[in-house]
Amino acid sequence: MSQQALVASAAGDDPADGLRAVRALRELADRLEALQVERARRLGWSWQEIADSLGVSKQAVHKKHNRRI
Amino acid sequence: MFERFTKDARSAVVDAQLVAREAHSDQIDTRHVLVALAERPGPARTALSDGGVDVAALVAEARAKIEAGDALDPAALAAVGIDLDEVTRRTEATFGEGALARAGRALRGRRKHIPFTADAKKSLELALREAIRLGSKEINGGHLLLGMTRAESPARRILSDAGADLDRIRHLAEGTSEAA
Repeated sequence: MSQQALVASAAGDDPADGLRAVRALRELADRLEALQVERARRLGWSWQEIADSLGVSKQAVHKKHNRRI
Repeated sequence: MFERFTKDARSAVVDAQLVAREAHSDQIDTRHVLVALAERPGPARTALSDGGVDVAALVAEARAKIEAGDALDPAALAAVGIDLDEVTRRTEATFGEGALARAGRALRGRRKHIPFTADAKKSLELALREAIRLGSKEINGGHLLLGMTRAESPARRILSDAGADLDRIRHLAEGTSEAA
């Protein structure tokens, strides 16, 4: 499907397009989160501060990102 | 079921993981398995090349399509009003060139195991059925090829888009896989 055709069905009358958009948004959010958390840690932020900013528990953010950073 | 797989069929399943990793895929579908089968000598590659398929071109085409199906799909994002080019530009201003791609690789690398899609799992079950139908106790690469071309699947679409004669290839694959 062309980009224009996709935009035309923006709100998603076809569930396949809508779901693909959700998947892409989730992927984008995951990547931005990884970059932001990595940078915050480098700048000396504590896991608690990062967790508060993301609105999740410290355990959750630590578990998700600690191994990579 | 896997204990019945021949060495070439096992290798294809393992190699499909590598194909997925190289393409940063978050799932393995029948195209990944097709690439793995086509890249190794075995009954599946023999059936493909004897069936008139340019195997190298098929692999290149399938890999390109797999990579274009990255989860971060620009067209899907545009559909909800997000300009991925602009997001990329702003992200790179803070995090350096290629930051989003790097983050994607880091996320993929974290996952030890890349899951098979329902379609890919079904194709393995169909491979088992094809082996039984052909009176074979083992499941080889030819049966995997038969399994993924028996019903509609991403691999079958790649083959038909490449102009492959599916009936002929299936017939050849049956020949190499009968009572193996």
